[in-house]
Amino acid sequence: MRKTGTKKTGMKKEIATFDVNGRPHEVILEPHKTLLEVLRDQLDLTGTKFGCGTGECGCCTVLINGNPALSCLTLAITAKDKQITTIEGLRAGDGLHPLQKAFIDYGAVQCGFCTPGMILTAKALLDENPDPTVEEVKKGLAGNLCRCTGYVKIIQAVMAAAEDMPKI
Amino acid sequence: MRRRVATPECVVSIRALPGIGLIQGDGVSGLGIGAMATLRAAESFPSIKRDYLALYEGIAHIPSLQVKSMATVVGNLCVASPASDVAPPLIAMGGQVRMEGTEGSRTLPLEDFFLGVNQTALGPGELVTLVSVPAPGPGSGGAFMRLARTATDVAKLNVAVMMRMGDGVCQDVRIALGALAPRPIRARKAEEILRGRKVEGERIAAAAEAACGEISPISDIRSTVEYRKEMTKLLVRKSLEKALERTGR
Repeated sequence: MRKTGTKKTGMKKEIATFDVNGRPHEVILEPHKTLLEVLRDQLDLTGTKFGCGTGECGCCTVLINGNPALSCLTLAITAKDKQITTIEGLRAGDGLHPLQKAFIDYGAVQCGFCTPGMILTAKALLDENPDPTVEEVKKGLAGNLCRCTGYVKIIQAVMAAAEDMPKI
Repeated sequence: MRRRVATPECVVSIRALPGIGLIQGDGVSGLGIGAMATLRAAESFPSIKRDYLALYEGIAHIPSLQVKSMATVVGNLCVASPASDVAPPLIAMGGQVRMEGTEGSRTLPLEDFFLGVNQTALGPGELVTLVSVPAPGPGSGGAFMRLARTATDVAKLNVAVMMRMGDGVCQDVRIALGALAPRPIRARKAEEILRGRKVEGERIAAAAEAACGEISPISDIRSTVEYRKEMTKLLVRKSLEKALERTGR
């Protein structure tokens, strides 16, 4: 990357607070940093993966105010006053989230690289539609690629988690 | 900016502008889509699915929920890709873009907004704040169709049609074509064949043939000129048939 540090017109760093997984985190934020960079490099939340960096694969998906977003294409500064959920924040107390449990039970994890993004997108899907059809799950996960091609088991796991999750 | 195609000294966020993310209107009053309204917001807006079906179809086929939740309708237009799936439906519906700048505001028909590949009529210091669409009117029907190598790929070509029928004849029709010229275009000769006439098999075929003569496609990794021309004929015919069928609903 080209060095821009010597330029006088460059934007200043600021101290910013991010609400990640229900807890405030204070970081020294450079305005050009992506949310993915802040999560991984500054907050050590490495569950969120860097896949393609261009918005194709969905590995970097996090939830911003409950909506799935590509953290590799999101400037961190735009997520400042919003609630961010990463895979680390899904666990409820000591137990696993029903989606995490179902992914293990159904063998929906192969290399695991797509898994955090898959689970978070699935969570957003189930929050909006607690009782989806297989077709709706496929459509909902269309923005997440699994290069092990383990889609069948992933879809089975999401369907199973939908059964297990408490209905409001 | 990531690819260093542009290296601006200063970037101004418009996120905080009041009302800029809103979608407003319905099938009677017309539609207004603010500059920050996402594709997902448009797809979920009930009136778009009901009254502006071609636009809905142009957005709904995009697979990634994440992309649709982040990308905006106006952002798609401002990139001015000749293969945009959002531009042809909005052109077919008579969409207009409102631009604000230091010199004041102005409005352009969307088809005049595109000047070429990635080129728009936006001047320095201007930004699009709204794209508006007039109400479709009774007896209207629209359709959008596309061809692509895979579900996630850019269109080889796409077609959007808006048709209004009355007294058994075509009162108005607009046919917009994407990825078949340096910018999204209208097939005006094809439209002329239908306007004021009965719309039936042979005339639809003649319009599709005429549309084929109004395009300037290229051969690239996605398709050849010949294939694109043949498929233009097919997709224009099918889109007209689909739109016609929907005028009766």
